Amino acid sequence: MNDARWLNISERWFRMLTRLYPRDFRDEMGEAMVEAYMDRVRDVLKNRGRIHLMALWLRALIDSLRNGSAEKARPAASWRRAGNWGRDIELVTRRLARSPLFAATTIGTLTVGLGMFAIVFTAVQRVLIDPMPYKDPGDLYYVWRDYGPIADVTRGALSGTDIVELQKASAVIDGAAGLRPMLGGIFSLREGGEAMEIAVTMTSPNFFQILGISPAMGRGYTAEESGLGPGSSHVIVLTHHLWNRLGANPGIVGTVVRLQGRPHTVIGVMPPDFNFVRNDAAAPPQRVDAYIPIEERLAAANPQFGGYAALIRVRRDSPPEIVAAAVDAVGRVINERDFAGRGLRLHPVGLKADTIARIQPALVVLGAAGMVLVFMLMVNLASVLLARVSQREHEVAVSRALGANSTAILRSTLLEGAMLGVAGGLLGALVAGWGMKVLVALAPLDLPRREAIAIDWRIAAAVIAIGAFLGVLGAAAPAAWAVRTSLSSLLAGGSVRGGGGHSRWRRGMIVAQVALSLVLLSSGAFVVRSFEQLLRADPGFRPEGVLTVKVRTPPEFFPKQEDAIGLQDRVEDALAAIPGVRGVSAASALPLTATAFQVPVTAPGAPGNTGDAERDKLTVDWIGVRASYIEVMGVRLLAGRNFNKARQPGVIEAMIDNGVARRFFPNGNALGSQLRMFNRVLTIVGVVDQARQYELHSDGRPQVLVRAEDLGMRPLFYIVRTTRDPHSLLPEVTAAVRRIDPRVPVGEPRSMDDIVNASRSPQAIGASLVAAFAVGALLLTAMGLFGVVAGSVTRRQHELAIRLAVGADHPRILRLVLVEGALLVSAGLLIGAPGIYFGYRVIRGLLVGVSPYDPLALVAAALGLLTVAMAACYVPARRVLKLDPSRMLLHQ
Amino acid sequence: MEKYFPDPESLLPLPVATFHILVALADRDRHGYSILQDVAARTGGKVRLSAATLYSSIRRMLEQGLVAELSESPDPENQDERRRYYGLTAFGRRAAMAEAQRLTAMLSQARETGLIPKKL
Repeated sequence: MNDARWLNISERWFRMLTRLYPRDFRDEMGEAMVEAYMDRVRDVLKNRGRIHLMALWLRALIDSLRNGSAEKARPAASWRRAGNWGRDIELVTRRLARSPLFAATTIGTLTVGLGMFAIVFTAVQRVLIDPMPYKDPGDLYYVWRDYGPIADVTRGALSGTDIVELQKASAVIDGAAGLRPMLGGIFSLREGGEAMEIAVTMTSPNFFQILGISPAMGRGYTAEESGLGPGSSHVIVLTHHLWNRLGANPGIVGTVVRLQGRPHTVIGVMPPDFNFVRNDAAAPPQRVDAYIPIEERLAAANPQFGGYAALIRVRRDSPPEIVAAAVDAVGRVINERDFAGRGLRLHPVGLKADTIARIQPALVVLGAAGMVLVFMLMVNLASVLLARVSQREHEVAVSRALGANSTAILRSTLLEGAMLGVAGGLLGALVAGWGMKVLVALAPLDLPRREAIAIDWRIAAAVIAIGAFLGVLGAAAPAAWAVRTSLSSLLAGGSVRGGGGHSRWRRGMIVAQVALSLVLLSSGAFVVRSFEQLLRADPGFRPEGVLTVKVRTPPEFFPKQEDAIGLQDRVEDALAAIPGVRGVSAASALPLTATAFQVPVTAPGAPGNTGDAERDKLTVDWIGVRASYIEVMGVRLLAGRNFNKARQPGVIEAMIDNGVARRFFPNGNALGSQLRMFNRVLTIVGVVDQARQYELHSDGRPQVLVRAEDLGMRPLFYIVRTTRDPHSLLPEVTAAVRRIDPRVPVGEPRSMDDIVNASRSPQAIGASLVAAFAVGALLLTAMGLFGVVAGSVTRRQHELAIRLAVGADHPRILRLVLVEGALLVSAGLLIGAPGIYFGYRVIRGLLVGVSPYDPLALVAAALGLLTVAMAACYVPARRVLKLDPSRMLLHQ
Repeated sequence: MEKYFPDPESLLPLPVATFHILVALADRDRHGYSILQDVAARTGGKVRLSAATLYSSIRRMLEQGLVAELSESPDPENQDERRRYYGLTAFGRRAAMAEAQRLTAMLSQARETGLIPKKL
């Protein structure tokens, strides 16, 4: 073999080795490198011999492997090194300023989208993620009783003796406090002063220590102040909110105020950021205005009767399963001692988990919708930037030809995206800050951690960072495309415009957007449909035209039962005399407020009994009402009669709802039968439809209505049915009650419509946010489609003009362009269709009575999307009607 | 693309190959293989750069503005079209100077501490 042959083989070997380098390196340096190797080969062949040639090949292989991979890894490093950010930012700013419309619409879209995301993100962060504002909040738990074996209550209240037992346990549980609502809350600053209603919670003395918060003024109560002996004085600790309401008197500590007419010394005021809602076994979390020590001796309480919530602090960082075991151990002892081993258990629930349990599913859904929206924003931004880069095609190609390297073009395109994203994030955070205030003002008062929901700088920073990230991500596809543009590819493409690589990408993005919109829109439609069901749900009473107020008749003012009933009678008569009032009654618990007590009842001898004593005991909501409650509240009477004004002496009358009737009297002859509640015997006089206590759309626990007077129920909600605007009655109602007894305040004025609306408000907020997301998604898709069709019309001008010139008419051309848009939309709809079901699965927790195949929701979503999408195609497509082929082709 | 290089110090320390290439280009402009030969000759064959290493370095040095590619061959007798010639830029010269000063300073520090004898 001669040298020429060896040279030939060598050259091929070295050319092959250049394949180990990245393409740009190969293009730039490959030839020169091969040439240098060949010089060396000639040297070696002349001076050393063929063995050395083999060694050279081997060494070249090793070097190329090493250097090639190093070159491949280089872009990241050179990105950092070879930049001039200030200049790039200046260039991008100038470029954006030159097209203000593009900048404004893009930043505007990002502002709205990121603003909405910021709001959802804040709510989720504040309510679900942030720790609660107490010392080591992770170590705080509520303890509830699972009444499983005897009643359908898993989150039941505890007795005073249970609290004592929890306090005695010392291995894991560091402390336990009992909390219960004080039934009275008539408060005045001085004797005979104006009376007001406040929400008072009674707690064990160690309550503030357990939370790890001390009063801002004064002190908390001491152990001696609990379980009062005769002669000692009553004490009260005010919240900052109540203190403000009372005039923010800095010298309030030490003054004596009246609670239920009794003197209480103010010993402390809590700090402004202390906000505690008391979780209740049966009701939603309760607001607290003031704290007083528990007056009962806990150890002497009736172990069978529960009214307490237990708050415990566990040893630092104890794992939940250890806490659960410790609480369970206490529960076992109590179960044996007080419940004859029937299997009633205690279980801990984290303070935060317990507080947010109701709102969590809604927030999770909103979070998911927010993520989808952000993803759509990104796709939208990508398609807008791609359109923009294609307009800059010439600029890019020319600057490449002038020597700009890929890094520079990549960087300037990505920087444009990032700057748009940052601007959108900044404005979005501002908009969200403002929108959040509006939303929180609309949110229900008992929304957990309502006070904490506001946008702070950390969330603003996160939103701006997300904006920048979106911008960079959205600019990635256009940037990659721009890097591949070169003068030659531009010149080659110049004559045949239309197909082009980037427009395929944009089409893909439109299809993705349509698919995502379909998912969001259908979810939105489900939520709206579900809300519509709620609006139409029959709560079991007629809420319109009813005012309710709370009037107490506490034993402190009315020691004798007859006096309290006498006052209640006089109040009822006085309210009935107000002009425009058509009926007055009263109840111990209003519908939809979850305020009824629960008691067990039995129906001895009823046909529905099974014979098993445990299973024949039914836990019911126990509601005391006055005569004509059924008519005034508008509850439907199914059988029998309402309570009459006149009471039959010695007989306790009761009305049962259809739930109790079904359970005990399945064959329908409940009237005249008897129920037993502890040692009381009730005679059933009527059967009613349930006026729902908990949720608008489904029956809650079965109910037993008794006469308030028969059981001495004292705080009563008066129900005034009127032909006037219910709220306009309030001054007359207040005046009437004050005339009867000035010590008794009128509290909690609400119309039944208010109560119904409040019970709908979580769904209302969820529905409006999800619907807003869906509309946002629709707009994004419409913008994207508009851009694609407009761009396509511009690019295809030439082709369309030729078509017109050779005989196609304008409508035909219009159809051609529209079909292109319609194909994209249909592809998106097809791809998005399975997503509808996944969307449904995610939001199921929010929905009431809507199936994933709800035809109205599905048709509305698909038709809405189709209409908007076709409109977005039609508007730019109409430009083809103005095409004048002769001028167009002349111009060319 | 314009490049701004405020200070050659920012490139220090230079990779060994880069410094050898700068030195090779100090007296005259050269093509690639000539650089390899010069380096090998100056170091008595101890440093043998491969063509792969050479062109990786040269590409980086072009980007950094240390060397420039010449538009035509400086050698009237050798006009091979495929050969590329490189020359030192003013910035490259400053960078080489800075690297030399750095090395000198290190050497004299080592001498002062007695780590190495005054005369080697």
